[in-house]
Amino acid sequence: MADDRRTAYKRRFDGDLEPESYEIVDILDTLTPDRRAFLATLGGGLLFLVTVRAQDRDLPVRVQVTDDGTYRAFTGKMDMGQGSRTLLTQAFAEELGVPVERVTLVMGDTRLCPDDGGTWASITTPQTVPVIRKAAAAVRAARTGGTDALTAPAAWTTLGRSIPNTTSLAIVTGAKTYPSDLRLPGMLHASLVRSPHHRAQLVAYDAAAVERIPGVRVLRDADLLAVVAADPGTARRAASLVTATWTPAPLRPQNEWPARFKATAVAPVEQPTARYPPLLRRGDVEAGLAGAARRLSSTYWVPPIAHVPMEPRAAVADWRDDAVTVYGGSQAPFLVRQEVAQALQVPEARVRIIASDSGGGFGGKQRGECEVEAARLSRLAGAPVRVAWTREEELTCSYTRPAGLVDVESGVDADGRLTALRFANYNSGAAGLAPQYDVPHQWVGHYRATAEVRQGSYRSLAAVANNFALESHMDEWAAALQIDPVAFRLRHITDARLRQVVEQTAARFGWGATPVGQGRGVGISCNLEKDARLALCVEVAVRGTDVRVVRMVATGDFGAALNPDALLNQMTGAIIQGMGGALWEHVDFDTTAQTTRRLSRYRLPRFRDVPAMDVQLIDRRDVDAAGAGESPITLTAPALAAAVFSATGRRRRSLPLLPLRDAAP
Amino acid sequence: MAKLTLTVNGRPWSGDVPEETSLLEVLREHLMLSGTKYGCGEGQCGSCTVLIDGRASRACVTPASRAREVVTIEGLASDGQLHPVQRAFIEAQAFQCGFCTPGMVMGATALLARTPSPTDADIRTALDGHLCRCGTYPRIIAAVRAASTTMTRERRRG
Ligand code: FES
Ligand code: FES
Repeated sequence: MADDRRTAYKRRFDGDLEPESYEIVDILDTLTPDRRAFLATLGGGLLFLVTVRAQDRDLPVRVQVTDDGTYRAFTGKMDMGQGSRTLLTQAFAEELGVPVERVTLVMGDTRLCPDDGGTWASITTPQTVPVIRKAAAAVRAARTGGTDALTAPAAWTTLGRSIPNTTSLAIVTGAKTYPSDLRLPGMLHASLVRSPHHRAQLVAYDAAAVERIPGVRVLRDADLLAVVAADPGTARRAASLVTATWTPAPLRPQNEWPARFKATAVAPVEQPTARYPPLLRRGDVEAGLAGAARRLSSTYWVPPIAHVPMEPRAAVADWRDDAVTVYGGSQAPFLVRQEVAQALQVPEARVRIIASDSGGGFGGKQRGECEVEAARLSRLAGAPVRVAWTREEELTCSYTRPAGLVDVESGVDADGRLTALRFANYNSGAAGLAPQYDVPHQWVGHYRATAEVRQGSYRSLAAVANNFALESHMDEWAAALQIDPVAFRLRHITDARLRQVVEQTAARFGWGATPVGQGRGVGISCNLEKDARLALCVEVAVRGTDVRVVRMVATGDFGAALNPDALLNQMTGAIIQGMGGALWEHVDFDTTAQTTRRLSRYRLPRFRDVPAMDVQLIDRRDVDAAGAGESPITLTAPALAAAVFSATGRRRRSLPLLPLRDAAP
Repeated sequence: MAKLTLTVNGRPWSGDVPEETSLLEVLREHLMLSGTKYGCGEGQCGSCTVLIDGRASRACVTPASRAREVVTIEGLASDGQLHPVQRAFIEAQAFQCGFCTPGMVMGATALLARTPSPTDADIRTALDGHLCRCGTYPRIIAAVRAASTTMTRERRRG
């Protein structure tokens, strides 16, 4: 699907939402066909359709009171492991005034659930939670005749508590149904004949060897070539007997990417209302740099990396009577509905997406590649078809986190205070551009550039690259000025909550009391990202070209901790996931193909890598909650790079940091 | 096609499957036991871990013809009682998406059967072949430790 349509869709859900008013409609109101279909699927009970007005938008929420007095609540949000199912259940239960056990959340079914935007950019907590609370309070008022006011944080009984994941029992017993576990009667398993190249056109194929095998069919629709059979093994073995010729699109060598990004760069213009404003200006950066007592410039690089959710994507499509139902696991079921409708050239009303909780997303499951393939094949086969990507397909047919080049130039005055900062990100993105430091003259921007490989969303997007560059640069200044890196940062932090987070983290870590040098090193990073205040201190031991992370101390202030234990789980996990991108991960390509094709060739954080960890929260009940699924990942790489410098005196400005080489790029 | 006879979770099963079919595929597609997960198919992630004759094994790289006595995540609870390892995972909330959890639980169960009181280092070594992309490793270590304590206590009580 065209990227501008995706952007337009996402823009509808931009910005933080302050619910202002609502409208509540009971079910005897105008029954449109849509609502009639909805009701027919749901069965009895009372149904409330609430429209919450926030800023200039109307956001729909649906709540059903079933005949046995429990509630069913509907949301288009998804849970890929960030705990949104439990969190949103808490939000409903809190304002409905019932325990969580009385609320069942129906997620990701485009027929039943309202379109409240996809699940990305940590917007579930700041946007969806307030809207859901408002709607649930309205339903409570309509049911009881009482007030429709939100429950004050001091009176919370469900929110603010560490409610366990509502699917815990299903998870530990293997009963939880993930997208790859879905089966339909009469379903065929597909195995796709893929080109080995990153992009290619199908020229010809020969399936003679396969067509003789009973029960096996070869299906082709343009460049989509597949074998279907009653069981996946037969389909896979048959697909391996098909030979195909492809015309690949050439790729430039990876070492030419930085130059290519610069050659194709489009200068940013100010867009202050964008979710990620691509240009932030303050003061006069030229004058600031010209008047600086000392200047420093450096260039940073992040390579493309892969999401590697533990569950490769899978979908089952059932095409019948000119309509299709697709069971899958996308982060954005309504976007996938658009994609499928477009691919099949049918109206969206004929497409129903039913997405289940999936085994990890990290920004990688925003698109419906697999759902589209299953839908096209089901129409060709005239039967339900399951497409389950292999790990190799998951690695090579998805998109990567964009590579990025960041040029930073800055100046300090005679007292060692930063006065000017020019910060230019090429290609990786505008997320997390705003510096957490107070610098009077700034030009901070993102240049769009042309990449030849598929790239897309990723946990925290470009905030990883941007914080790696900015925090590394701060560390370089501290070293150049011979000032303690914590003290140098604090000098430029005006936000009181961020100061507290940095100070507490450094104190718990014993910053200044840990001996460094001779292979031991410490590093710090912090961030103010998506309203979260975060800091991380690390200690590493360097041996030869390898690094062992010894311990990590981190603090997060996300405002009100709506589910403290789940927040800690997310924050810890994000920091650990960040170790992969910091130390090992990179996806490689040759002149036509991705060469990183297997898990055994893609080093991820494992048990052996995990250091001693002390992760804590500062819980501010009175402050609006910030999303937490993403931003802590931005801490890991710069803290580790700083620690490697502290241990060895060598500055690494390029990710991944390992293996350590002598020369920095 | 090959004739296959197995015992899975205490129940005998036999059927015809294509030669070379992996145990993972037999479990998921023929026995419809979907708790055992596919994550890589090359023995790298541990998502498909089951017990074969009591040993933690990767079902994705085990030909079904080589398995006899198999226990999967679905067979771990007995008489409606969760296994102590399952309880400990819930107690520690040692998961996020939960996709790696069945394999982790099976790996931890095998470890505790062999080494009832493992050190943290033992746990890391035993489970190092299991990936958790959500990064819940510290909680998994804590859960295994807690399960070990519970099981030791329950054994003493007999
Ligand atoms: S699926 Fe068997 S080890 Fe990954
Ligand atoms: S909980 Fe998601 S992979 Fe472990």
